[in-house]
Amino acid sequence: MADPVISLSKVTKRFGPVWANREVDLDLFPGRVHALLGENGAGKSTLMSILAGRYSADGGTMMMHGREVSFNSPAKALDHGIGMVYQRFMLIESMTVSENLALSAGKAHGRTGIDQVIHQTAERYGLGVDPEKRVFELSMGERQRVEIIKLLMLDAEVLIFDEPTSVLTPPEVDALFEVIDQLRAEGKTIVLITHKLEEVLKLADDISIMRKGRLVFSERIDARQMSRQQLARLMVGRDVVLRVDKKEVAVGETILALQGVSGDSPLGGPSYTDVTLEIKQGEIFSIIGVAGNGQVGLVSAITGLSQARSGTITFDGATYNAREWRMASREKIAYVPEDRYHSGSIGAMSIADNFALTRLAAYRSGMAGMVLDREKMAADGTRAIRDHNIKVESSEDSAGSLSGGNLQKVILARELTRNAKLFVAEQPTQGLDISATEEIWRALLECREKAAVLLVTGDLKEVLSLSDRIGVIFNGRILEIIDAHDSDQVDRVGLLMAGVRT
Amino acid sequence: MIEDLTFIAQISIKSSVAVLLATVGGIINERSGVLNLGIEGMMLVGALAGFAAGHFTGSPLLAVAAGALAGGMLSLVHAFFTIGLRSNQVLSGLALTILGTGLANFLGRPLIGQTGVRIRQLPVPYLADIPVIGDILFNQSPFAYAAYLLVPLAWFVLFQTRTGLILRAVGEDARSADVAGVNVPLTRTLSVFVGGLFAGLAGTYLSLSYTPGWKETMTGGQGWIAIAMIIFCFWNPLLAFFGALLFGGLTALQFFFQATSMDLIPSYVLKMLPYLLTIGVLVMVSASSKRRKSASPADLGVPFYREL
Amino acid sequence: MIRIEKRIQPLRYQGIFAATSAVVIAFVVGCAIFAGLGVNPLTAYAAMGKGVFSSADAFSEVLVKATPLIFTGLAVATAAVMMLWNIGAEGQLVWGGICAAGAALFLFPQTQPWLLIPLVLTASALGGMVWALIPALLKAKLRVNEILTTLLLNYVAIIYMEHLFYGPWRDPAGFGFPGTAQIPEAAQLLRFAGTRISLGFPLALLCAVMLYYLLYKSVWGYQVRVIGKELRAARYAGFNVTGKILAVMALSGAFAGMAGMVEVCGIHYRLQTGLAVGYGYDGIIVAWLAGLNPLVVPFTAILLGALFVGGEQLQSVLGLPSTISLILEGALLFGLFTGQTLVRYTVTISGRSKEVS
Repeated sequence: MADPVISLSKVTKRFGPVWANREVDLDLFPGRVHALLGENGAGKSTLMSILAGRYSADGGTMMMHGREVSFNSPAKALDHGIGMVYQRFMLIESMTVSENLALSAGKAHGRTGIDQVIHQTAERYGLGVDPEKRVFELSMGERQRVEIIKLLMLDAEVLIFDEPTSVLTPPEVDALFEVIDQLRAEGKTIVLITHKLEEVLKLADDISIMRKGRLVFSERIDARQMSRQQLARLMVGRDVVLRVDKKEVAVGETILALQGVSGDSPLGGPSYTDVTLEIKQGEIFSIIGVAGNGQVGLVSAITGLSQARSGTITFDGATYNAREWRMASREKIAYVPEDRYHSGSIGAMSIADNFALTRLAAYRSGMAGMVLDREKMAADGTRAIRDHNIKVESSEDSAGSLSGGNLQKVILARELTRNAKLFVAEQPTQGLDISATEEIWRALLECREKAAVLLVTGDLKEVLSLSDRIGVIFNGRILEIIDAHDSDQVDRVGLLMAGVRT
Repeated sequence: MIEDLTFIAQISIKSSVAVLLATVGGIINERSGVLNLGIEGMMLVGALAGFAAGHFTGSPLLAVAAGALAGGMLSLVHAFFTIGLRSNQVLSGLALTILGTGLANFLGRPLIGQTGVRIRQLPVPYLADIPVIGDILFNQSPFAYAAYLLVPLAWFVLFQTRTGLILRAVGEDARSADVAGVNVPLTRTLSVFVGGLFAGLAGTYLSLSYTPGWKETMTGGQGWIAIAMIIFCFWNPLLAFFGALLFGGLTALQFFFQATSMDLIPSYVLKMLPYLLTIGVLVMVSASSKRRKSASPADLGVPFYREL
Repeated sequence: MIRIEKRIQPLRYQGIFAATSAVVIAFVVGCAIFAGLGVNPLTAYAAMGKGVFSSADAFSEVLVKATPLIFTGLAVATAAVMMLWNIGAEGQLVWGGICAAGAALFLFPQTQPWLLIPLVLTASALGGMVWALIPALLKAKLRVNEILTTLLLNYVAIIYMEHLFYGPWRDPAGFGFPGTAQIPEAAQLLRFAGTRISLGFPLALLCAVMLYYLLYKSVWGYQVRVIGKELRAARYAGFNVTGKILAVMALSGAFAGMAGMVEVCGIHYRLQTGLAVGYGYDGIIVAWLAGLNPLVVPFTAILLGALFVGGEQLQSVLGLPSTISLILEGALLFGLFTGQTLVRYTVTISGRSKEVS
């Protein structure tokens, strides 16, 4: 076996009080795909960003071909042949593909040279992309190709992919895997950051697993011989709970019904078309889909944050034109938004203040309701902290000082106290650890005893654990609505998410 | 009649040179993502430094160099605070105007009413003899000729060279530019400095050529007009010609009405017009860019720092 | 190599720390300037201090200067709490002055004092309000950048005011002096015991307290602060952002307008050139130095007022241009930025970071 190309030893990185990486040792070998697994927040991306020069480590050493290296910028790392395809692409959207590549190429290639390089690389790896197109016109898959070309053009020896499939369609995923196979055959060193077991089983030669900043498992084994269960157990540290205790709840009357609702996403995102569905009291209805298939727009129309173009919406017995719904909806729907840091909360304000955000009516007092009842706010905040097991000193702490899980609990607690008829939760457990996830799942299940719940997520595990019915969204349309209790049908959800109807 | 129009056109150009230079400088530094509201202050300091250097050395060349450099140096204060210390760009720009105005007025006190170097209008051989056009375009101050060259040059550098590509990349998406190997703080600092040089040059034009001499607040808000013009021109130096001419034209009309004692429009209305029109233009630009993607650099005003 | 990192635990007493470092830095800058001019900095500061504190009379002038500054500081702070930049307090002050003078001279000249002053005050607040509503409407409806519109409107307001007192409103008995006639005595604000401090000063303090309660103790103020801190959260919660932009700018303009009124009715007794001397711009410094806290605004306004009075003293005692106070103002702001950075981040200056290859 060849010597390692990269050898990390005792690499340590702290962000304030949080250990992102703690004494991590890792070897990367040429001609092999190294899968770096772990849950969100386990420290995978931080570790690789250190290798790629975006962060600098607080301790430990990095060796490349037996010599110690340290990079103070991504450019330095690239000089050494280490490049990373970030989850959020590092491309300048208003510029063309060839301008973007010219920017990275340094003085190495002239303007005309770039087009030639693009052409050559495209041919060799099957990475076709139009050099004259501006990046914002490209699909996510095409943008990723540009990122890969960027690294290959600079003769990168080590290529790091940070969750490369999270934004891709299934055919794009296959194409990416072919490229990775080819790169491996050429002797490149590949790192694949992921939390999808299927990808590991399909591609990896070596596998490392991180948990809470530490490397908990690293073996040079043929990962393809491992079983899903083995991997999953290694990743989470205990068996993943795929079934939660679901009480039987009697399904009641229809709370929300959409009839042929179409519209555009705010800020020019993908649109949604002709959506028809109903959500009943006592059930969790899930909308699942790969990111960017119109869910964002649909949810914002349902919650009244944006206006739909056409269709009708019936809520709690009253029917509205979808265009007028916006004015009627606000008070009646509880909503846990996807962006918990900037939409769901105000980091610079206290927990008590945050707890009042959508419930201001409860705190109006004095002078015709103009005065804010601060005492009641503080009391309610303190109670919520106690009831939901939120780890803080007092309700006067700023929301920005909370961890993701605790912040989500504040938001959830707030929305639960509104006693709304419809409860909308959008990607409620994204980025949270297992224990926070379980608490939030339990709360959602409890919520369905009193209300209709709409869960919007991309997490299949979550949908299968919680839902009563599942609507699969693809390309802005609900392809099919599946009864979650029908195990034959449920297996098709994954395919439907990819747009495959069988 | 033709003579009147030629006169108005000539004065229009004469009155637009300072705004034009300052606008182009502002475009360069805003394209890199830094908003600098200190143009007025840098122009004043440039005007004073240019005048003082001329007054003490008698050399027009040194005067121009000193004026431009003074603007550049002051802009580095803005660069230090906004890029180095990540201070708020709006506030820092305002502070720069206050500081610049204070410095110029304070240091310039003894120079009020003094005489210095004058850079007079200089007809370009042959070109100035072209009927009408020659008089309008080529019987101007050398500053105007410098502007004729600098403006297309700025456009060329911004849009046709690698330097420009880097500069625009930093203004559009500093994070991506950083990953692509660009030194973001350095690029931004240099752009701010170039913006300062242009503003200083613009001020020098005022004190050496347009209204020779040193007067407190002699820029009369032209720095602010330039900031509005940057938006008006969609951050494109070539369009700045039109923006600046609009301002120059109104000023020229004011002179013309005064000179001919024609009172078609009351003079206070004429005085207000550049400001009102600029607001009108801002409204038009905002209204039209509401639907499509605006031309504004996407990272304008957004501080950049890489977490270490 | 400067290395800046976010503090995990922000410093306590942030505002005080930032403001103190602003004063210290401005002081040091002042020392450098005085030394550069060949004047002993201690002598210079002593002269300034003496000018400010030597007598009750001298200090009363500080409060006279502080009065309009409190108003414009509140005007800027009101808007800034919602992340709106009102650079137009100067123009709104001018309109406040125009409306105050107009109301006192032409609209209600015969009214009783107990009624006239409230009328004039209302007129000035309305004047400032309307002038601020122009950029507010443009911002709310067409998303026109308010920094530029508020600023450009200053010039328009000043040109119009000059037109008025050079032209139609000029005092016929004024020997060609540019300015209106004196306003009736009934419209002049009461002054305190032989000083030039008028009723405007307690009125300014009252406004500061009222604004504090409005922003921090009312539902409306809560919404305004949420919009300022996290616009997306405000949208999510369904707050009426457009309405708040208009209301906040109107309030901001009203404060600035009242600054014009206290100048016209408390100091000048007429509309004349001395009205637009930059109090609107100074309000920006007052507001930010106070950390946008309305209760701190009066103190920072007094600080700036002392700087102005001290600067004038320098001119009369040492013959130094009084515009030095403008430089010190700029230094105060830049000092504030330094302080803010030190509060939020740790700054380490080191040699080049290690780089082995």
